[in-house]
Amino acid sequence: MKSIDIIHGEHRTLASVLQGLRFVVGEIGAKRLQADFRLLSSMVDYITQVPDKVHHPKEDDHLFPALRARSAAAASLIDALEAQHAEGYRMTVGLLQALVHYQAMGDKAFADFEATVQDYLAFSWKHLNMEEGELLPLARQELTAEDWTAIDAAFAANFDPYAGAQGEFEDLFGRIVSMTPAPYGLGAAR
Amino acid sequence: MAELLKLENVWAGYGEAVVLEDISFSLEAAGSLALLGRNGMGKTTLLATLMGATRLKSGRLHFDGRDLAVVGSHRRAALGLGWVPQERDIFPSLTVEENLTVVARPGPWNLERAYEMFPRLAERKANMGNQLSGGEQQMLALARALMLNPKLLLLDKPLEGLAPLIVQDLLRIIGRMVAAGDMAIILVEQHAHQILPLTKQALVLERGRVVYNGDSDNLRADRSQLDKWLGVGSH
Repeated sequence: MKSIDIIHGEHRTLASVLQGLRFVVGEIGAKRLQADFRLLSSMVDYITQVPDKVHHPKEDDHLFPALRARSAAAASLIDALEAQHAEGYRMTVGLLQALVHYQAMGDKAFADFEATVQDYLAFSWKHLNMEEGELLPLARQELTAEDWTAIDAAFAANFDPYAGAQGEFEDLFGRIVSMTPAPYGLGAAR
Repeated sequence: MAELLKLENVWAGYGEAVVLEDISFSLEAAGSLALLGRNGMGKTTLLATLMGATRLKSGRLHFDGRDLAVVGSHRRAALGLGWVPQERDIFPSLTVEENLTVVARPGPWNLERAYEMFPRLAERKANMGNQLSGGEQQMLALARALMLNPKLLLLDKPLEGLAPLIVQDLLRIIGRMVAAGDMAIILVEQHAHQILPLTKQALVLERGRVVYNGDSDNLRADRSQLDKWLGVGSH
């Protein structure tokens, strides 16, 4: 069942970036922080790419099919989560567009960017809570030791919650931590 | 792999009070051990006992082939024990670089490698210790312990009080330290789910006694025991 720990670990890492984004956008909104577009674009890049390239394939290609095969009761939950994966990607494209617009237009476009971020955060918390609160407990209950062995093996090639299969996201995560102002990150306090 | 640390039936505490009762376990060179337990169960006391900061009542402590009980606490760092206490204890009036170089001992960890592991410290190398944020101080405390080139690194709640982004970054770094295999590591934390994936071995203390001594993987798969020993939400 190492794979379930990997899913938990990826959720925690993603949640830490989402919390960092909420903090930074909140501070900009309260005029305690100047927008740092290198930081904002790194955060948006992370939450766009890592779920889509590292995290969701594990669930979509391995965990969900195994659970569907074992539990008819899981079907509607998995349908909803798969739809959320697709919707989440669509929303990150919107987030990216809102960020580009904010960078180009300056302060007058902040309200739109902030609203887009808040929508994305609300959506993401709901999704993470459904997976942590409903999906993973059901998977623990329904999947057999054989199922977990197969899923663990499938995850083995792509297990690092920070780096991705080729280590491509480790620097990005490190940059986000370095640039996010203290106390949330290691950057200069506001 | 050779055995680096071995405790046999150790009883220890402070003054007349006994905190640790009949503790036995061993750790290989380059091994990794998660030391777990609820608050007040003896985790920090066990680390303090290894560093010679408690009164050893009975039992034997072997480290790198030597009887640790006859080595004074001030000499244990020189033997190869590196301790990162929860309070971090960095030198506030020294720069980051001075904090690192003042304790440096020969070995695989040098300034270049420390800065590679903690790029933020390279950026802040001219800053004084008291100008660092909490997360930066924890990184400095970790890097300083690595510069000692210890055979055994003791990390006491390194994630305590830090924001989630920094916690995740430190977990990433500690994972790399374990994987590098330059030293053995004992890691104390409240949250089992965060450190069990990083370590090979786990030891759970309850009221000063060992209730689990075995594989980290087996422990993290046993949710009912984790709940019982560490509380719901520990996994």
